[in-house]
Amino acid sequence: MEIKLKCSCGESSWPEWAIIELQGVVEVQPAFQDRMQNLQIGLLCRPSSQETYTFTVGYHELSGSKIPLKKPLLVLKKKMIKSDMEIDQNDSSRVELEVVGIIRQRILFKTRPKALISEPQSAVKEKVRAPCPVVEK
Amino acid sequence: MEKTEFGCTKGAEAVLNVPPKSSIPISYHPFFGPHDDLLLLELDEKLLPDVINQRVSFRGESNEDAVLCTKSKTYAVKFVGTSNSVFLVPPSDQFEVDGNPPIASVIKVAPGTMELVEVAPKIDKLRTLLLENLYRYDEDDQMHDSGLYQWNDLTDRVQASDEELKSALRVLSAVEINGYWRIVDDKYMDQVLKMLINNSILNDWSLSSLDENKVVESLVNEGYSRVIAHHCLEVYGSKTNGSVWELDKKRVCVHFARVILLDNGKMKMESFMEEWISKVPGGMVASLDMLEGEILVEKLGIQSWVYAFSVFSLPSDPANRFSRLFQERAKWEWKDLHSYIRDLSVPGLTSDGLLLKYTRRTQPTADAEPVFTAR
Repeated sequence: MEIKLKCSCGESSWPEWAIIELQGVVEVQPAFQDRMQNLQIGLLCRPSSQETYTFTVGYHELSGSKIPLKKPLLVLKKKMIKSDMEIDQNDSSRVELEVVGIIRQRILFKTRPKALISEPQSAVKEKVRAPCPVVEK
Repeated sequence: MEKTEFGCTKGAEAVLNVPPKSSIPISYHPFFGPHDDLLLLELDEKLLPDVINQRVSFRGESNEDAVLCTKSKTYAVKFVGTSNSVFLVPPSDQFEVDGNPPIASVIKVAPGTMELVEVAPKIDKLRTLLLENLYRYDEDDQMHDSGLYQWNDLTDRVQASDEELKSALRVLSAVEINGYWRIVDDKYMDQVLKMLINNSILNDWSLSSLDENKVVESLVNEGYSRVIAHHCLEVYGSKTNGSVWELDKKRVCVHFARVILLDNGKMKMESFMEEWISKVPGGMVASLDMLEGEILVEKLGIQSWVYAFSVFSLPSDPANRFSRLFQERAKWEWKDLHSYIRDLSVPGLTSDGLLLKYTRRTQPTADAEPVFTAR
């Protein structure tokens, strides 16, 4: 089977996607599990003109910075192609992958969160696992 | 151009361009979910033009690990998972929603990325496929319907880039006949080549200056198809200029040696040489060094025996190649071994590296020939 990597944007550049990466897992409080749509995770703040950021999730504040990726990441979207010929010998319909975006930088928070004392309760809390290594590539 | 905190930038653009001394809320997207159809592929910057020109594809059958092929190279695809939370934020014009969507929202948490490692093409399968149904004679319309492969069938089944596939087809002396890629049976090629040489002698043509049209016509008159006649020139000759061909002495001699050994199996060296020299056309000189990588010589007592052992029939991946070589012989001298491994190519590994990885090298004295055994 051959799956072609389609690219409909031609010569023009792909739209850039963003990555916000942090250690551990962000857990939604049980009461909000099935209505996560539009739910705010946190506040991304750029305190100065430098590319350093804080991300405030519930009672916790993470510090990190924007770093360029060594190699870009392509965002691919899998699409099923409906074939007119149903007599296809194998029943699996053909798949196509389309490039829908590119990622060249990520905002990485690799420190453990700092507790904020007087922050209002948020619907989302962050649970940080035991120190887990940041994958450095 | 100042943009306020809740200005018109949204989505990924907003995340990537947060103005200094400001902040933006990050939310779950109205369509947040696992989105298994969204994949991340890490790609070297230099491969991007190939993607833009749509020359990149994933290849492999359902029971194989997928590879990614550009026009000229093959890459293994490895999924690298992460324990971090990787929030993916699409640009504002993708996954559009009606109403008043959040400023910047996360569509999915990516479990990891796909990474590429350059690998050698998996071309052994190509040989296996093409050997299923050899082209044994000009079949006209009595084609068998199994074991026949068109170019697209090959790219569907063989994990190699287009250029690697084409070059492998050349090495296998495959030819496209009626849209199908075929290997022509040695015995049939033998007939065609003998007829070509015979016709050249009868017509007083020089084997180093053959007119393509005349040669092809003479073979067509003998009942061979045009494509087979042309293939015979391609396999045993090279174009010198325009439509003039020269038969390649080495390739012609090697062919006759192979056919003799195919008929006789293991032979005494003297009788082999005698028959070989008598078979090659006049003007060509058969010499043993032409048969490097084609035959092995075995000493039994004072007698030397020779048998066919062609490098082209061996597996192309190093592990299986060395295992097959050491199955044939426990100890190899360099002068024999080198012609059976020089075609191996593994990205990132030199031939010395291969020897180090798969063989043990012993050298009884400093000036003795090194001997290689299995590791």
